[in-house]
Amino acid sequence: MRRLEKWLAKNWLVVPVGLVYAWLAVTRPATAARALKLAATTFIDTLPTLIAVFVLVGLLAVWVEQRFVVKHLGEGSGLKGIAIGAGLGTVLHGPLVGVFPLLEGLLRKGARPAVAIAIVSTWAIKLPMIPLELQLFGWKFTIVREGLLFASAFVLAPLIELAIGKHWIERFREPAEEGAL
Amino acid sequence: MTVTDSAILGVAGALLVVSGFLNRQKTVKAVKIGRKQFGNTLVFFVAIFAAIGLLEALVTPAQIQAVLGSGRGIFAPLVAALIGGLAAGPPAAVYPLGKYLLAQHASTAAVGTLLIAWVAVGTISLPAEVRFFGARFAFTRWGATLVLSIVAGIVMGWLL
Repeated sequence: MRRLEKWLAKNWLVVPVGLVYAWLAVTRPATAARALKLAATTFIDTLPTLIAVFVLVGLLAVWVEQRFVVKHLGEGSGLKGIAIGAGLGTVLHGPLVGVFPLLEGLLRKGARPAVAIAIVSTWAIKLPMIPLELQLFGWKFTIVREGLLFASAFVLAPLIELAIGKHWIERFREPAEEGAL
Repeated sequence: MTVTDSAILGVAGALLVVSGFLNRQKTVKAVKIGRKQFGNTLVFFVAIFAAIGLLEALVTPAQIQAVLGSGRGIFAPLVAALIGGLAAGPPAAVYPLGKYLLAQHASTAAVGTLLIAWVAVGTISLPAEVRFFGARFAFTRWGATLVLSIVAGIVMGWLL
């Protein structure tokens, strides 16, 4: 019983999502089937990225020294740290949930919150989608939009870091078992 | 699998092989850590994807278009931000929608906001974000990004 409770506390989202599916399956079975198919397609499309992400999470944990992360992405890294984060976010792809484990790994290794926020901000830049945007909206629209997205990292990162406060980062800094979630 | 997928898998695989040559023990440990974390979060990931499927099946581009209406006026970017922020479709789906709205004389500000909010806000992944980083971080980022999408949209309307 306690194991179930612990599992539910960790995976609570399963309950509301399961209930909506059950309700849809009864009232609108065709829609439920379509939702399930869309979900499965998205998941299968993302699986390669997720696998790659967790390989990188493991490699990050054993190879990258804390000293290195602290030096380049830590509290003293300033604008350079945010710029590296913005660059990383630009090249990352896949859904946002896949990026979270990687960010957590970086924060545990001593990156400052602003770096994580910069990565999430520019993650919205989808490099493979740029040709499509160019084709539909033209180069002026594309350059302004992508430029604003990139610049947003430098505004959002310090602002949100300030808003969440100094103590927020402590949850990642306890000397926990290496790689524990 | 797209080219990008193959590329990222290739890079991860190559790094793993290099790591294996350099230090077998460390590499085995890395794989164990990755596998453990993957297992820890897999059910939650499945639930998130199930929720994305629900939203995609229940909210169609036609409905979004109906709510956004002509997409003009002062409040159009605000409405676009809310719709884009709540939607959870693939990024590729929003481009044709934006193009269509522009053809219907929606304002550049509204379409710019919609395009940015659609990918950047990430309402559907909030539960996962709370789990990884706590409610304070997740909701602050969510709100700030929503505001940003409106500001960026208005700047786009002004510049273009």
